[in-house]
Parts: sequence; C-alpha cells; structure tokens
Amino acid sequence: MMQWMTLFQKEVVENWRNFKWVWVPLVFILIAIMDPLTMYYMPVLLESGAGVPDGAIFEMPTPSTTELLMMSLSQLNTIGIVVVALMAMGTIANERKSGVLELTLVKPISYSKYITAKWLSLVCLIAVSLFAALSVHWYYVNLLFDTISYTEILLVGLFFGSWFLFVAALIILYNTFAPSAGVVAALSIGTIIVLSVATSTFSKYLTWSPANIPELIQEMLYTSSIPFDLMMALGVTWILTVACLWVSVICMERKEVS
Amino acid sequence: MTLLAVKDVSKHYKSKKAVDHVSFNLKEHTCVALLGPNGAGKTTILRCLAQLLHPTSGSIRYKNNLQQEDIRPYIGYLPQYPTFYGWMSGYEFLIYIGKLANMSKDDVSERAEELLTLVGLSEAKNKKIRTYSGGMKQRLGIAQAIIHRPQILMLDEPVSSLDPIGRREVLELMEQLKQEMTIIFSTHILSDADEISDELLLLHEGKMIESGQLSDLRNKYKTEMLELEFADEIELYRQLVEELPSVQHTSIVRNTLHVTVTDVNEARTEIFAASNENQWPLISFSVNKASLEDMFMKAVSK
Repeated sequence: MMQWMTLFQKEVVENWRNFKWVWVPLVFILIAIMDPLTMYYMPVLLESGAGVPDGAIFEMPTPSTTELLMMSLSQLNTIGIVVVALMAMGTIANERKSGVLELTLVKPISYSKYITAKWLSLVCLIAVSLFAALSVHWYYVNLLFDTISYTEILLVGLFFGSWFLFVAALIILYNTFAPSAGVVAALSIGTIIVLSVATSTFSKYLTWSPANIPELIQEMLYTSSIPFDLMMALGVTWILTVACLWVSVICMERKEVS
Repeated sequence: MTLLAVKDVSKHYKSKKAVDHVSFNLKEHTCVALLGPNGAGKTTILRCLAQLLHPTSGSIRYKNNLQQEDIRPYIGYLPQYPTFYGWMSGYEFLIYIGKLANMSKDDVSERAEELLTLVGLSEAKNKKIRTYSGGMKQRLGIAQAIIHRPQILMLDEPVSSLDPIGRREVLELMEQLKQEMTIIFSTHILSDADEISDELLLLHEGKMIESGQLSDLRNKYKTEMLELEFADEIELYRQLVEELPSVQHTSIVRNTLHVTVTDVNEARTEIFAASNENQWPLISFSVNKASLEDMFMKAVSK
C-alpha cells in the first residue's frame, strides 16, 4: 500500500510541478463555456462585425439549457479527449525512453501497482478538470440563460466521466508498448475516432458502446430518467476499462525495459 | 557463501546472441568485475540479473533457493547512464526510491541524509536534479542503488563516463562499499577492474571466456618474459642474449629487449653473470608481470 501511495503521490506532485493541475482544468473550463458564451453574445457579435444592413431583425431562438449542455459535452468529447491524449501521451512512454523507468522497476514493486497508480492519478486530474468545467458551465448558463439543476450537472459529470475512465485506461495501455509518446497520442485518438464512428454507424448493434455514452446522456436529459441502455453502456465501459488495465499490466511484464 | 547462482543464462535477440550460456556464482563479500570490450554482453547480463530483461534460457537463483524468486529486494542497480526525475530534488528522489523498496518513513529519511553525506551531495540535496552535473548524478545514482541496504550492488560502467576526479571519487566509494556488500560491476577499462576487483569474469561476444580470482588468472597467464634496457646500441647485445641457454626468443620494442625465457630465475642468473663478466651497460632489468591487458588479449585470441 505504501508503495502504491508513493507511486501515486509522485504522479500527483509531478502534475503539480509541471502545472498540469492548473492548465488542464483551465482548458476544460474554456471548452465547456465556449458555446454558452458565443450563443449568448451571438446577436452582439453579428451586429458589430457582420455589416448587417440597417433595420434587419434577427430572430434567434434561445437554446434550451439541455441543448447548451449537449453542445459543451460534444466539445469536451472531441477537444477534451485530444487534450487528455496529448497531456498523458508520455506518462510511461517518456519514462521508458529517458531510462528513469529502470530505476523504478528495479525496486520490488509489482507492475499492477505501477499501472494503477498511473491510471488513477490521470483519472483524478481528468475528474477535477471535468468537475470544474461543468461547474463553471452551470454557473454561466444559470447567469445568462435559465436555471439548470446542479444535481443534473453532477449526474451528467458522473456518467460522462465514466467514458473518460476508459479513455484514460486506453492511453495507459498504449503507453505500455508504443515506441514513443507521439505514437501513443496517435493510436489513442485514432482508436477513439474509429470507436465513435463505428458506434454511430452501427448504433443498432453498438448501443452499449462506451462511445455511445454522450448520446445516451442526451436521452437521459430529454426523458428526465436514466435509460437502461445508459446503465448497460456504463457497465461495458467499466469492464473495458478494467480489461485495458489488465492488458497493460501484462504488456508491462512482457515488454522489457530497454 | 554463494549469494547468486547464475546458471546457463542466455539472452537472444532476433539475430544476435547477446549472452550465450553464461554461468557463475556470486559469493558473499567479493567484488567482481565483468570485463569485456563494448558489445560483449556485460550490460545485458547485469540487466538480466536486475530482472529488467528476461533471459531466453537459464536461471538466476538467490542463495541456491530451489525456486526462482523475485531477487529485486536484495539488489541495488545503477545503470550506465542513470536518469532521474529532473523536477525532484536529490533528497526527494532518494525518499521516493527508498519507499518503493519498502523502507519505513523514519528509516528512509535518516538513511537518505546519511547517504547524501556519504556521496558528498548534502549541500545540493534540495536542488533540483536537472541542475546536477554528470558526476553529481552518478553519485546520486550510487546513493539510490544502496539506499535499501542491498546485499548485492550492481553497477554498469560506473566510472567510464567520468572525468579523472569523478573516477577517483567513485572508485574510493566502491572501495568503501566493498566492506558492506557484494559488488558486481562491468567495465571495459582494465585498470579499473585491476584496481578494486577480487574476481574477474572475462566476456567476449556473449560468452564467458575466462573467470576466476585475479591472482590465479595472473598465474595462469603469466608470461615468462624479461625486459632489458641497455645504454648502448641494443642490437649489439641481442645476439649475445640469444646465445644464453634459457632464452627462447627475443624481440626489440622501443629500445627495450623483450626476452622470452623458459624460466625467469635461471635466466636472471645467466643474464647477471654474463653482464658482470662482459661489462654490459645494462640500465634496466625487469620481470614482466602479466597485465590484465595481456591476459585479456590472450584469452580473447584463444
């Protein structure tokens, strides 16, 4: 346990010293409030910049809070994942490349401790960022548009965050065997894109795909109840996450430190 | 007592046999040098011992235990080019490594202070490692390798990349550590192996071509050779020396006469007698001790 805490602590401190605890939440917040803010200021922006003829009147439908939330989630689902992939692409790959991994692995620690400490520290960072992003989103939507319940936001964060558990595990998995950090990022983003495209193309068969979670969240928001498919998708996501971590440990054992 | 029994260890890569059926025993309180040219497989062996590589075949056992167990608790390892987390301070890094080796909090902080003093880093202990010089990193590397008081210390080319002062410091540190633990280190510098090791393992192209105590090896590869220097033209005396009964062969290397003889003692008597009798202007006489270099060249060419 002490070994695991040591490994975990090292990750947390490292992320603090290289300011990941600052910039990742900031970027997530930016992504999450971009759409509500542009929607709100759209008329002003159009008037000032677009050279609209005098007397023209815009009828802009005010988006609902659910629409705003879905917009932000879809931004987080694309830009957010790219940010996470780029931020975590070297977490093991770079340690392997620089050689510092040797000094860690020559001590009597198990590979599963090493992998889970890496993964959980990454998950913590993502969770904090997501929480901050959705909270600020909630604040601005309340301020500029309409009231939106905070519990709903928290629930959305919980489900949407599960999807990121899997993304984090996938990045860790690629980290264990890819030759360089760049390859890790490319493989991770590539896999997510393929999974998302497959999920939306074969949505009939892949209802419980992890990539379907944002879609199912939307269903939840419109129906105001948690759909069965969402629970199943969560289950599949958790199983896949554990599977990824398990394979990571095996890869780590197999792949020699060089 | 045998600490590590290495038996028939081989490590093959796709096209290359990096280590080929190497066996040896690592005894308690000895300092063993793995000696060989670049690419002989020294690093591969050390990395197999440290369990960073999995041998293709063979076994590495701790204290002849029947089971092949995790030997990492008993060893400390320093790679050839150690890298650290540059954002940590030297002290933080030692604490991190010590905790990974299951040391208690109090023990590890005490030990870290002690080691930082031992390796001369107590002034820089709170500076970030990225600001350390090469020699400082090497010394921090040794400190992290021994923080958990391992029984076996493995050092990969510990002095090769250091300047003369750093080299001296590390060798002295190793001399000190020899008292407490078994050391196995690799080097391609013969004089370093000569200076502090008790036993030698000679490697060439993945195979172990010779091993044993330094003194035994010296005897085995002893060359019966004398070196003579004359104040006069050397050619004049070559003929005369060759006529002596115990002399087999002579050659001239840089104004010294190298004389291969059947027996050193006999040859000495003969040469001194002849020299006295004929007033040879002999200015130096020496019996050539087999240097590691000769030993190495001989073993390799066998």
